[in-house]
Amino acid sequence: MSERCFPESFKDLEPLAAWALETETARSRKRQASTMAEIQAFYDALLPRMQAVLSYLNRFPPDGLPVQEARLFYLSLALAEVAPAVELFQQPSEPDTYPVEKFIPEHE
Amino acid sequence: MAAVAAPSLHTETKQKRWHDLYPELGTHPLSVDRFTSPTYFERERECIFRRTWLMVAREEEFRKPGDYLMRDLPVANTSLLLVRGKDQRIRAFHNVCSHRLNKLVWNRTGNCQVFSCKFHGWSYNTEGRLTFVPDEDQFFDLNKEHLGLTPVTTDTWEGFVFVNLAPTPQETLPEYLGELGEGLQGYPFSTYAATRYAWRVEVQANWKVVQDAFQETYHVGVLHRRSLPDSFTSKDNPYSHSFAYKLYKNHRRLSAYGNPAHQPTPVEQLAMQFGPSINTRDWVLEELPAGVNPERSPYWSTDANSIFPNLVLIVFHGTYITHQFWPLAADRTLWEARTYYPQPQNVGQRFSQEYSKILTRDIFLEDASTVEATQSVLASGAKQHYTLQDHELLIRHTHKVIDDWIQGSNGHRGVNP
Repeated sequence: MSERCFPESFKDLEPLAAWALETETARSRKRQASTMAEIQAFYDALLPRMQAVLSYLNRFPPDGLPVQEARLFYLSLALAEVAPAVELFQQPSEPDTYPVEKFIPEHE
Repeated sequence: MAAVAAPSLHTETKQKRWHDLYPELGTHPLSVDRFTSPTYFERERECIFRRTWLMVAREEEFRKPGDYLMRDLPVANTSLLLVRGKDQRIRAFHNVCSHRLNKLVWNRTGNCQVFSCKFHGWSYNTEGRLTFVPDEDQFFDLNKEHLGLTPVTTDTWEGFVFVNLAPTPQETLPEYLGELGEGLQGYPFSTYAATRYAWRVEVQANWKVVQDAFQETYHVGVLHRRSLPDSFTSKDNPYSHSFAYKLYKNHRRLSAYGNPAHQPTPVEQLAMQFGPSINTRDWVLEELPAGVNPERSPYWSTDANSIFPNLVLIVFHGTYITHQFWPLAADRTLWEARTYYPQPQNVGQRFSQEYSKILTRDIFLEDASTVEATQSVLASGAKQHYTLQDHELLIRHTHKVIDDWIQGSNGHRGVNP
């Protein structure tokens, strides 16, 4: 049996594991490469669980998360990445906006 | 929710024109050759960027002695080496070896006690002194005391490291920043600098086209209609009029309106449980330094402080942003956009920062989209002028100050047009 991606109490989120990406660049690429239906499905599945996710993760020091908790943390950051797409733009990105890949993050 | 009365200062702006307070600026359209002319660009380089104080780093980038930062400054035809010495002082040097003038340091950051040139091995300490020359005996009357790195005047304000490339700057940094600098003292710049999210982007546009996009709020209700549908606009203030503008000799500020009835989205509500975002309005007046929301308006959201020539410092409650616009050519700019947050104490706070950071980035993408498009048609000759309205006062002031520096009428030696 393969190892779970997330902690036991969040096993219902396993189908979302592909969104648990470590860097802003990777999460942004995933958002840009997904259809709006895929983004919406991710958002709809994770948002109702976020209070529980953050309450759980707040018990750990932010800089010392165990592996499964770290993946759950990256998953939560992917929700922040797609939030503007779902809540403001209703599309992965606005059609006439500047290409996000030209913004080079210095914090990675 | 109770109806919110229109802000008094905002009401006043309906009755008066901000331009009336600054009649010397005029109300004429602005000629556009300043955005395309290579000659004008060379004058900016010579008369402004080689003579004014330029922000190049934050103190937090130099934690230990030997921590250094290399910064290429093509606008001044140089590269800088900034390094913290054993005496804790941060010094700046031209990044040029004294022997055959090779660029000394090539890595962007690191920690080093001895900087050795990779050409012939001349070595310098963190104070810029030449400490070792291989095969020294073969030189003629070599005096190592006189062959240190060429220093650049540097000083720090509120943790921001500035340099001035003039051989003898005409003003100290505190004199240069003046009243605007004094008013911002006490804002927690260092606390918020604990977590910095920064992007670099090379845009195909004149540096002033890019900078002007951050010196007015007139565009917010249109360009940012999706990303900021109700944060800086409301039924009472549909054109996001800023409620105050202040012009200094070189610098300038606007104080932006925030809609108290902003409705956070579901993820934003979640994020706001843990930390501030650019849409947070729960500031306490007594905690703001005198120069932040100087009008003490209950409708304050943020101040955009434009520090001449190329820094826009945008302060919010709980976070701040710096934009810097480094000219590369008349039609190319390196834009450095940085956002600053406190050290997150838990994962929830880190999540709230991510929400605010990504929203901010997506707003910047909207800003970036127009500046390249503008530059791409500016040179067509179709239009000779920019047309500015009252709430674009800061843009008018910027170009007046630039012209003054170039023409030498700002108390500095300029170049005859």
